[in-house]
Formats: sequence, structure tokens, C-alpha cells
Amino acid sequence: MPTMESGDTRTGRHWPLHLFLILMLIVTVYPILWVLTVALSGGQSLAIVDVPAGAGFLTRLRAIIPWPAHLSVSNFHSLFADQPFARWLLNSVIVAAATTILGVVLASTSAYAFSRFRFPGRRAGLMAFLVSQMFPGVLMMIPLYIIIVQWLGLGSSYTGLVLMYTVTALPLCVWMMKGYFDTIPKELEESALIDGASQATIFFRIVLPLAKPAVAVTALFSFMTAWNEFIQAATFMNKEDMYTGPVGLRFFVGGYSQQWGYFAAGSVIAAIPVVILFLFLQKYLVSGLTAGAVKG
Amino acid sequence: MAITPSPPDRRHRRRFLIGLAVALLAGVGLGLALLTGARTAELNLRQQREAVVTLRALTDLVERAGGGSAAAPAEGSGFTADLPAAPAPEPPAEPNGNGMGLGEELAAVEAGTAAQTSSDPGGPVRTAVERFAAAHPGIKSIRVVTFDGLLLEASTAPADTGTKAAPRKLERDEKPLYDLGQKLRAAVTENRENAAQGQALIGEELAIQRMPDGSLILSGPVESHAAGAAEGAEAVGMIQIHTAAPPVASSLATPWVPALIACLVPIVVFFLLGLALGQRRALLAAAAAVLLLAALFRFGSYALESLEAGRRETGKVLAAHITEETAKAGSLLAGLPNTRSSGSRPDSSGWDADLFRRPLGLVTAAGTVDEKRLDAEIRGDAVRLHRSVILLALLSLVLLAFIGFGGAARVGHDLIEYRQAYTYTMPSLIVMLLLVFFPFFYGIALSFTNQNIYNTSKPITELWVGFDNYKDILSDLSVTHKSGSGTVVDYTDFYWTLGFTVLWTVANVAIGVSLGLILALMLNTRGLAFRAWYRVLLILPWAMPNYITSLIFKGMFHQQFGVVNQLRQMVGLVPLAWFERPSTAFLAVLTTNGWLSFPFMMVVSLGALQSIPADLYEAARVDGATRWQQFKSITLPSLKPALVPAVILSVIWTFNQFNVIYLVSAGEPAGSTEILITRAYKLAFEQYRYGYAAAYATVIFLILLVYGTWQNRVTKATEGV
Repeated sequence: MPTMESGDTRTGRHWPLHLFLILMLIVTVYPILWVLTVALSGGQSLAIVDVPAGAGFLTRLRAIIPWPAHLSVSNFHSLFADQPFARWLLNSVIVAAATTILGVVLASTSAYAFSRFRFPGRRAGLMAFLVSQMFPGVLMMIPLYIIIVQWLGLGSSYTGLVLMYTVTALPLCVWMMKGYFDTIPKELEESALIDGASQATIFFRIVLPLAKPAVAVTALFSFMTAWNEFIQAATFMNKEDMYTGPVGLRFFVGGYSQQWGYFAAGSVIAAIPVVILFLFLQKYLVSGLTAGAVKG
Repeated sequence: MAITPSPPDRRHRRRFLIGLAVALLAGVGLGLALLTGARTAELNLRQQREAVVTLRALTDLVERAGGGSAAAPAEGSGFTADLPAAPAPEPPAEPNGNGMGLGEELAAVEAGTAAQTSSDPGGPVRTAVERFAAAHPGIKSIRVVTFDGLLLEASTAPADTGTKAAPRKLERDEKPLYDLGQKLRAAVTENRENAAQGQALIGEELAIQRMPDGSLILSGPVESHAAGAAEGAEAVGMIQIHTAAPPVASSLATPWVPALIACLVPIVVFFLLGLALGQRRALLAAAAAVLLLAALFRFGSYALESLEAGRRETGKVLAAHITEETAKAGSLLAGLPNTRSSGSRPDSSGWDADLFRRPLGLVTAAGTVDEKRLDAEIRGDAVRLHRSVILLALLSLVLLAFIGFGGAARVGHDLIEYRQAYTYTMPSLIVMLLLVFFPFFYGIALSFTNQNIYNTSKPITELWVGFDNYKDILSDLSVTHKSGSGTVVDYTDFYWTLGFTVLWTVANVAIGVSLGLILALMLNTRGLAFRAWYRVLLILPWAMPNYITSLIFKGMFHQQFGVVNQLRQMVGLVPLAWFERPSTAFLAVLTTNGWLSFPFMMVVSLGALQSIPADLYEAARVDGATRWQQFKSITLPSLKPALVPAVILSVIWTFNQFNVIYLVSAGEPAGSTEILITRAYKLAFEQYRYGYAAAYATVIFLILLVYGTWQNRVTKATEGV
């Protein structure tokens, strides 16, 4: 991130830019402030303040200023005390953690083989990961639903969801890790091999520790894929106590339910970890995504 | 198995011999499994049809018995008044035409109008059931349930004796019995309405459960054919029979001998031929292929004979069974007291029926097998069998070629030689194969079927409809319809949705690119204060999970309480119902997606801008280029390598942007703001038309494929310039 330049004298010259940027900032930040406001309002209403029918300009202005009429954390409290949100959050944590572990194990092993070994089927395998990215999610969901729910009976189970999330994240993870392994010089492994180390030792003791940054990015990416996913979880998890966080949040405001206070409080809780993670992760993601696209 | 550079011709004979053996084993083995399956299915179906005949004979009897008791003058029931004063003998074609059903009878009991303790209205039914059970040693138990009053009317089950003897109220733990009856009743009513409108029947009117010991539990409705019910009868009760387990001997022996012959003979012949042919590869291959095909088709014709015999046996058994049941029913009917239609013979013509109680018509009214019908069924078997034999032959030939021409040996060698690499890659490749590639092809196969939630248990070959789904999706070109009040747009038409999706994608990418580029150019200004702060805050929409963003915007566009309408009212405009017109709904989803998608473009552009060397601009300034010229000749070309892939990605993301559409507008109004993938989702998971939805999704995939190919070519072409 570029550091701020000490050009105080120039700031004055840039005021039209600042004006536009501040306008954009308002547009950008407003929805986030709005959801914080509803979360801290202590009620379930969408409206920030009650507006009578013939309200004047000032009342209406008040109604769009993102600051609650009464500051209260009761929504956060009853989200855990009265609603099953803790259970849903736990489901999300379990699914995301399992997806992360499975994703890292599968991606690091196969990326290592794709990077280090030359074997028949290597190119086809790598292409298979790329091609699978082209299949639209809905086309996959129909047969997956029949296979996972009706054949295997894994509807409303962690296993089914974890497997689906893992294969969603796997192709990008494999390509990212392969790219990183390619940058690790081979000489280290060769000398270890001469010293009599087994292939497994080399992988676990030498290569993986060197690839820590890539492992971290892969883990974070898998985690976020699982944590933020909505529609597959909504389709496959039918039992209410097996909802994940996203499905639960939608449950608060979907259909005829209008519990916007719970939704807002839950959203804040669900979003904060991924927003923070994202801000750290984004420069890897951008380079990974665009690099992948250029190669394809 | 190390590969040594030995002369290759020495291996051909052995390879083809092994190949032939494996291919035969696979082909004949699969064929054997299929044949055994088909014969078991035939046997089960025969048992089931026999049981259905029995059930319907009993139903006929009970319906008549019920009518007889209600009509008995001793009852003094008010309902007798509803009956014709002097009922004529029933014509055989309408055996139940005038009987009074259990329902009325029980209603009479409930109302207390037939309160004579001496007379028992359910008596004749019980008598009929008991005598029927006595005449049928092959039935373990019979239970008759009357819906009105939740009564167990009659029962011969061993559990229902003593204090639990019929008639009595159903107990709490017998609710499944009652629920099953209600399900059958609903099916009867629904099917009658559907049939009247010429639609397909949906609910099955008979329920059959196969027990682990091979016995069957059959349940069917009892109908009241009361006067006044001109439309047809209403189900007022249910009969359930439990048949005895079939003797073990009647289960089939697997035909090992023909299968073994089909396997061994070709191998022996090939071995002898091989001695004569030596190591000539082409001849060996041809000989193996011919032998393989001959064996498979010989086994196929054996299978056909076996199936035909089964069919004929079924016909014979059923005809005999129906004759027997008719005779039994006739004598039982004659012996029943107070049965008004006791003179008439039971009509058995519709007894052999499917689960919708539609007559199968295999046995004629005279009690003989309809030979034409039987031959048609056998021809159908032959066609199906032919198809599977060809499929098996192709499969075995591929296997033979794979082993014979050395493919298997190479693969085996590779697996050992590169076992380390395969150990590392196998887990993820297997997972991808099972959960991505297999479902993908299975989904494409599904798109040629009419699978829906009711028939998922059937194999997809039975639901095959060819290209019907695709024709149905793509052939409806009339997006607008003329109606009385003007032109009406059919929002569910594929081409409307396609057009909307394209508009949605183009508009979003245009907004994303222009906004992202403008912001990036601004942030790239040298010496701009607070640049890092702007950048972090402007990235936030990308960091937010998009389902949360979508739900937030859904709230902000709320008609009554949403802040957008508050803002409109603040400046004196009327509040809008955003999701009641396609144009405003489009604006709402566009705003949402614009909000969450511009940061990506901004970040990508900013990265590219920062990598442009500053001396390029200095050189341009020295040459006297204007700012616009600098932008056109330096900035834009330098942005291109980063922007092109970003635009490609962004097009695909927006095209597949499920959450925004599904959560913000949900396709409102009337599906006009649906994009292709949300439509496909709703077809699959709200209308449960899996086959149709799979075809829809395949069309989407093809569109993306065409776009990808085109994009690739365009990108390459422009790179070349």
C-alpha cells in the first residue's frame, strides 16, 4: 500500500478530486454504516427512525442519517440468547474449518506433484482443474443434489457440504500453489535426496515449510469460499439446526420474516472476520486471479 | 512388470487372449447381472400383479357387502331413503353402481340413527373379510379401515384379537395406516380430476410395500358408489392385505451354465486359432473381436428366450389366478347374507391393473391370455434387450482393444513407474472426478430425461425424452404475445431471460470498468493526500460477503421503510415500489451489483497504472504531447494487459451473479429480472423439474463455452496486432 505523500501544499490543488472521492466514499460506506445502525438500534425495524406520514424535510433527513435513535446492543445479545444463531455460526465454523484442512491437504499434495514430477497425464490433470472452473454452478448443483442427497443420503450433513466446497475451491488453490512451488529452487530437494531423505520427508520437512505463504493463502481462500457461500448451503441444508450462518441470516429476512435487527447484527458478526482477512489477502487474490486468466 | 525392449510381436497372442477373457468376463458378467435383474423384476411383478388381483377381488366384495348392510331394512337408517326404491339387479359391467359405501353407513352410526345394538352395520363387511380370508390361505392378514370415525372395520391380523378386535377406533400408533389411506384417497380424487382434464396421472392409487421376507403389503382404497355421486366414487376406506412370503423355490436360480459356456468356448477357440495364426496382430484382433461379438449375441438370444418364457409364464399364471379369484368371489358373494347384488357375477376384467388401477389388459374377459398383447410386450423386450446387447458389445470391444493393443500394459507400467507422482495427485483427482466431472456428465445425461421429484428412483434410461427439453426451451421464439389489453411480454421465455442476462452483464461490466478506471486514475494522481485511506475504504464493498450486500440493498430498497425511498421523499418525490416494474427492479439490482463490483476493476487498474514508468510521460511531455494524447497512447495501452483478463473474468462473474438477483429482486416482477442461472435454479429447486433444469443449465454452459472461445480468439487476434 503506497504511503501518504507529504504534499500538503498540493492538497489544495486536488480539491475537485477530493470532492468526487468523498462522494464515492459516502456511497461506498453508507450501506455498511446502515447495517451497523440497524444492528445497534435494538429493534427489528428497517427504518432508522419512525417517520410520520406528513413528515418534513428534517425528519426525513434524520431517517437517512445512519445513527440509531437509541443505541443498544440488545440485538447482539438476543441473537445468541433467543435465536439459534450460535448454532448456525458453529455449523459455519465446522464446515469452513473442515474445508480449509481438506483443501490445503489436497491442493498442496497435488500441486507439488504437478510442479515437481513429469508424468503421463500431468498436462491433462492440470487442464482438468482449469476446465472445471467453466462449469456453471447450477448445472453442477442439480446432479450433485441427486447424488449427494438422494443417493448418498448426505443432505443436511457437514460431509456433503464440505466436499462440495472443497471441490469449488480446489482448482484455484492447486494452480496458486503450483505457481508458488515452481518458484522454490529444486536444488534444495536434490541435495536432500542425495543425503538419503525420502520423498515424503522432502515434501513435509523441506517444501511445505518453504511454501508457508502459499499454504496460508490457500487456507484463507478455502476458508472464505466456505464461509461466504449461500445458495448451496441453502439448498442442501434443510434442517433448521443444520443451517450455516448465511442461510440463517437469510432466514431472518426471507419470505415473510422481517427481523432486520437480527439480520444486521448477525451480518456484522459474520462479515467482520472475512472483511479483515480480505484486506490482508486481496493483493494475492488479484495477482492469482489475473495470472490464471492470462494463462487460460 | 518391467518393460524390456523385447520384440513386440511376441506379446500379441497373449495380450489378445487376456483381452478376450477380460472383455468376455465383463460383457457376459454384466449381461448376466442385467438378465438376473430383469427376471427377478418379472417375478416380483408377477407376484405383485397376482396380489393386486386378490386385493381388488376383496375390494369388490367389501364394497358390495358394505352396500348390502346399509340397505338392509332392519337398519332403519335415514340413508336408506336416498336409495332407489326398487333397485334393479346390477349389470355386470357396473358391479358397484348402487351399493352404499362404508362412509354413509358409518355416518349413520355416528349420528346415532342406527343405534340398534342388535344390528351391527359393519357385520357383513366382517363376514365377507373372514370368509375371504378363509378361502385364501395365501393371505396372512386383512385389515379394513373406515376413514369416517377412524375405525378399524375388520381385521384378521393376529394382533387384532381380544380387546383389540375389530371393530374399534384406530389407535394412536396406527396413524401411519390412516395417513396412508388418506394419501390414497387424495390420489384417487386428484387422478380423477386430472383424467377429466386429459392430464397425466400423478398419485398412485395402490400402495405396495415389499417386506424383507418377500411378502407384500398392499393397500387400496374402498370406494362408495352412493347414489348422487355421479362424478364417480369417493374413497371412504382402505383395505390392506399382507400376503404370505412366496416359497423359496420360486426365486430364480442364476443361469450360470449358459454364461460359462459363453465365456469359455470363445477362449478355447481363440487359443486354438492363436496356435494357427501365430503373432499376426490384425488377424488376432479380428478373430478376438468376432468371437467376442458372437458370444455376446449368443448370450443375448439366450436371454431373450429366458425373458420370453418369463412373460408367457406370467400371462398363464395371471389368467389362472383371475379365473380362480372370480370363481371364489362368485361363491363368496352368493353366500353372503343381505347383499343386494348377490345375484350378479363379480366383474374381474379390471382386476389386473397397475398402481393407478388402470387395467393392464393382458387377460381377456374370457379368462384367457391376450396373445397379441403378450407378443407386443415380448417385442418390446426384444428391442430393449437388443439395445443393451449392442451397448455391452461396444463396451467389451473397447476393453478388448485396450488390453489387446497394449494400452493396459502401458498404463500398468506407467502407474508403477510414476507411482510417486500418482500418489500425490490421486486424492484430489479422484475427488474432482467424482464430484465435478461425473456430476457434470450426469447432468448432461439428465438433460435428456424428464426426471422430476416424483420419479428420481427410476433409472434415467426409462425417462429418456431425447432433445425434447432443448426443443421446448429454444423453440419458443414469441417473447411477446398479443392479448386483449395489448402486447404482453412472456417473461418466462428463454429469449427474454437471455436478453435480460446480456443486458445485465453488459451494463454491469460497463459500470464496473468506467467507475473503476476513473477512481484508479484519480487515486494514481501524484501527491494526492489520504490516498491509502481512500483505497482501503473503497475496497470495502469487495470485501463484504455478497449475500450480505444483497440483503442489505434489498432492505434499503424496501418500499415503505427503505432509506432510498426516504431520500426520494426528502427531495419531494413519491416513494417507489422498486420491485413492481421491470425497469425499476433492474435499476435496483444494477445498483447493488455496481456497488459490489467496481472495487475489483479499481484495484486491477490501479496496479497496472502504478507499474507504468514515469519517464514515459516525461518523454511524451518533452515531445509536446497533450494530456489526452498521453492518456491515449501511454495509459490505455499499458492498462490493456491487466484490464482484458479482468474484463473477461468480470463478464463471467456477472453472468453467473446468482446471489444479487436471487436475493435482491428474486426475479420480481413476474420473473422479468431473472437471469439464466437463477431461472435454472428455480426450475430445479422450486419446480423440481430436474431434467428440464439440467437442459437449461447445459444451454447456459454452451453459451459460456461459445463466449469463452470467441473471447479467446479475439484476445489472441488483438494481441497479434
